[in-house]
Amino acid sequence: MKFLRQPTLNTLGIESTLGFFKNGRLPYTAESLVDSIFGPAGNRGSLVISGANGIVGAGKAMQLGSRLAPYGVTIVGLDFPGAADGIGRQYPGLQRAFGEEGANRIMSNFVRLSYDGKALPAALKQFNPKFLLEAIPEILPVKRAHYELFRRSFPEIEIRSVTSGFPSSELGVGVAHPSFPHEINKVWETIEEKPTDITRLLWALGMVPVPTTDNWSFILDVLFCGVTLAASRYHNATNMPYWKIDKYVRRLLGPNPFRAHDAIGAKGANFLTWSCLHHLAKQYGELFEPTPDLDERMATGQDWYPLNHFRPLVNWSMAAEEEKEFNVWMLGAILQMSSLLLHEKRGHLSHINAMGELCAQFRRGVLSWIRELGADESRRIVEAYHKLHPEAAKSCWYPESFSALESVEGQQLYVNAEHDGNVGVITIGRESYNSDVDAELNRAIDWLAAQGIRRVILTGDFHLATQLVGADTSDFFPALENRDRGFEISRNWSRTARRLDSDFETSVGFIGGKRCLGGFLELMMHCHYVVAAEDAQVGMPEVTLPVIPGMEGCHWAFRKTDASHWPKLIQLLMSGTMISASQAQGWLLDYAGSLEESLSVAWKLVMGEAGGIPRRQTERNALTIPVQTNGAGANAGVSDDARRAMMETVRKSCACTIEEAIDVQAKMSADFMSSELCRRGKIGQEFGKVMSV
Amino acid sequence: MSKTPILYSRARIPYGTWGSSYFPNWQSSPLAEVNIGQFAGEAMNRILGLRKVAKSELDYLIIGSTIPWHWKFWNAPMVAACLGQRVPGYHLEQACATGLQAVTAAAAQVETGSSDVVGVLTFDRTSDSPAGIFPERRSYRRTEVIADVWDNFGFDPSFGNSMIASAGNTARKYKIARQEVDELTALRYEQYFGAKRSGFLDRVLVPLDVLNLQGRSMGVVSEDVGVREISLATLRAMRELDTCVTSGTQTHAADGMACLLVTDEVKAKQLSARPEIEITLVGKREVRTLPAMMPEAPSLAVAKLLEQTGLKMSDMAVIKNHNPFAVNDAIFAKMLEFDWRKMNNTGSSLVWGHPQGPTLTRIIIEALEEAVDLGGGYVLVFGCAAGDVGIAAILKVAEGVK
Repeated sequence: MKFLRQPTLNTLGIESTLGFFKNGRLPYTAESLVDSIFGPAGNRGSLVISGANGIVGAGKAMQLGSRLAPYGVTIVGLDFPGAADGIGRQYPGLQRAFGEEGANRIMSNFVRLSYDGKALPAALKQFNPKFLLEAIPEILPVKRAHYELFRRSFPEIEIRSVTSGFPSSELGVGVAHPSFPHEINKVWETIEEKPTDITRLLWALGMVPVPTTDNWSFILDVLFCGVTLAASRYHNATNMPYWKIDKYVRRLLGPNPFRAHDAIGAKGANFLTWSCLHHLAKQYGELFEPTPDLDERMATGQDWYPLNHFRPLVNWSMAAEEEKEFNVWMLGAILQMSSLLLHEKRGHLSHINAMGELCAQFRRGVLSWIRELGADESRRIVEAYHKLHPEAAKSCWYPESFSALESVEGQQLYVNAEHDGNVGVITIGRESYNSDVDAELNRAIDWLAAQGIRRVILTGDFHLATQLVGADTSDFFPALENRDRGFEISRNWSRTARRLDSDFETSVGFIGGKRCLGGFLELMMHCHYVVAAEDAQVGMPEVTLPVIPGMEGCHWAFRKTDASHWPKLIQLLMSGTMISASQAQGWLLDYAGSLEESLSVAWKLVMGEAGGIPRRQTERNALTIPVQTNGAGANAGVSDDARRAMMETVRKSCACTIEEAIDVQAKMSADFMSSELCRRGKIGQEFGKVMSV
Repeated sequence: MSKTPILYSRARIPYGTWGSSYFPNWQSSPLAEVNIGQFAGEAMNRILGLRKVAKSELDYLIIGSTIPWHWKFWNAPMVAACLGQRVPGYHLEQACATGLQAVTAAAAQVETGSSDVVGVLTFDRTSDSPAGIFPERRSYRRTEVIADVWDNFGFDPSFGNSMIASAGNTARKYKIARQEVDELTALRYEQYFGAKRSGFLDRVLVPLDVLNLQGRSMGVVSEDVGVREISLATLRAMRELDTCVTSGTQTHAADGMACLLVTDEVKAKQLSARPEIEITLVGKREVRTLPAMMPEAPSLAVAKLLEQTGLKMSDMAVIKNHNPFAVNDAIFAKMLEFDWRKMNNTGSSLVWGHPQGPTLTRIIIEALEEAVDLGGGYVLVFGCAAGDVGIAAILKVAEGVK
């Protein structure tokens, strides 16, 4: 096997993605891992969550409870008798996600026990605890005593702490540090000597374990607490109110750190941020020293935003020079903190990069940002930051660490490729398609071509991207104001997609995750075959935004299917609704089956061994699409103007040769993106919210 | 300059750390919509930000206002919270003398070593005058409702006169001619618009973008809204409401805020962008004159202050007063034998309006800026206040201090 760069799955002890297809199955299943950790069915042990009424404990109780219920693993929630009910507050969310019956079923598998912190309740033994997820307050001696208590009663128990910053070496147990919001965020930073079944179980349950090294504080916390600290420092330097700084931080980076603290619950979040920074400052120096505001917020738990009756009255703005300085305050701190993460090799570069995006609202990963800035410019920004905050220059600055981004690992943060000498697999590790993914995908294709690989499977990475939701619409922001930028994006991305059709003898798009929508579905369409797990959802939601598909979604699928299926394609485009892969089989997709069957079929197709599934030809000449919408999308809350524009694009991009169509579609997509209709829509609103401070 | 002992030897006003909002005419700007205490706190924070002074430098806040505002009970700590700096402080109020009184109170706070950096923040909103409901057993309803702004302007409860009547009374006492008052007023307008056109006011006044509940702009307060150029002919044509008082020769109600800092010598040098400028408070005096003679009170206060300090009018580099009635200036000129053309060079409250609490604060700031332009010297500021009170103070601006 050859790899463009090390797969992130290696960090879980999984060798290659290609093996999934070759073997027709994933290397680990939840069933086998549940057996391994909790014991066989009929003698299943339980998962104990201590501190179960807290924000983390209750959230993870629901997330794990809903996933483990089918396997008969009892969840035991342990907390003090007087703890406020955090579990009951989760019930409405469960109802929304699983319906009342499903929510009741999950809750019926949940046992609540109280204890005094000194002795475990006698009743716990009957539930045969096998795995303790500790979510008690961040006080090291208390945590250690808590583990001791469990080990005395249950010597074999596996323990993981959700700690927000203590290293495993200090705790004496492994770490599984989850990300907010805990009910739904699937990312866990894990610390173990080597990958264990606990971590693999998280993966097999559809979550995203991210192994990291055993250091003080986690990647996410360095970034999120770091951006909060940088914003707080800017506040102290300029007096700008927190709410306004939030707007500028959101425009620059994506998150609004102060609002996030209030949304999470300022009392807890302020403490955790302060605690994280306090420990980091002890380890790494003044770069991380909490500001007096953070000290005060930690002590009082007060919100960062004013109370409702004191909604701000006086606006703030920045001149261009002031904004440049603001950027230095923010970026300088984050870049220097990132230099620490790189220097300490805290994790796989793709993981370090992804944490900000997946868990801290960063519009793009911090490493992809550094990569775009370039190492020299990044260093210059940090040095400029040191002029504003000289104490930060005293320690924890590793300018040479940015050179890591010049390596293949640094160049392929989102897209990897591997091959066995015959078949290549391209894996995409970002759930939304952007210009970084586009550039990396091209490099992956180039690499496979250089390796002489003519057969390829394109798939999500089975790790960081649990679904493929389409284009990253923030990439469209420049196109709202500049039509040429829209044209450039659309044509470039379409050219990349066409390489899947033209550069390989056989290409198979594989949809293994929950969803494949919009731009990613357009990308998959360009493969010679598209295979999906039958419960995956596919769709073209562009019309609901509204935006016109930019990667040839308005004509490519029409060219690959019989006219009798065109009404279904039109319905898909005009309604924006999702359908299951099973429903799309035969006209949009070539095969839909169980995950295992789909993996096998994809392998057979790429090897040219699936005779029962014909390769659909792509019509290169003009098609005539009837000018009618058949009422499609009329009841989907979609604007008539958007539907008309969509139909017009379908008609015009089909009514020319395939060579001409790329520019026709790109032009119409770009025209629409710069239109008033698009600016009034969801992307325009988001643009206004994010970019207009 | 003569060597005159200064009232507060320790206290300093750091040059350039001050600022004022524009004073829009009442009911005519977004300021008519705000909780003025909250607005003032946020505006002072913005002004300090623009002046590159970290709000964390403040350790005390003296606020001054005359018209009740929502949550006034919570006093300076509430306003300080809106400013974003949790410091103690108190509210001070002396009608139209509030601004000057607050500055001297802040100087005393520093002088005694009680605080290191005191913020003076004065503000008022005359728009939508709040009404107080008071038990009044002499009333057949047993209750009286008082519209704070207009009912107080119109009635001095001690003697039963209105403000405007006191202006007419005093004009008659000093035999002031209507023609002189109109000419004086015309000059005041010329002075204001001259200062505006020269850019002088841009150094004092800060445009402020006022937000609504949804966080959208209600408008930028970037003008003394309602002030328009007016000719002598127009002033002459106006109907006389009382002796020498027309709608043109009296001020108008306005909304606004103004703030500055008072600290010690060392800190003043740190905070100011021009540490070589030293500003001290030389002396202060107040008098109360006979009933319904308010316009002469400031002149009496100035005379006492000159006597107290040993200074003469000829020592003053800048003279600036709060002149709600133009007759105030004419009376001052007559009593002090001083040419009214040589004062209020950058405008005065007669023209740009009168939000009460911050009026004298803005006058002080403008006067200090003018003195700096002139290379330093003594600055005389004074004004009248409800109850036939006059207040006056002399500050000293010295440049080239190391």
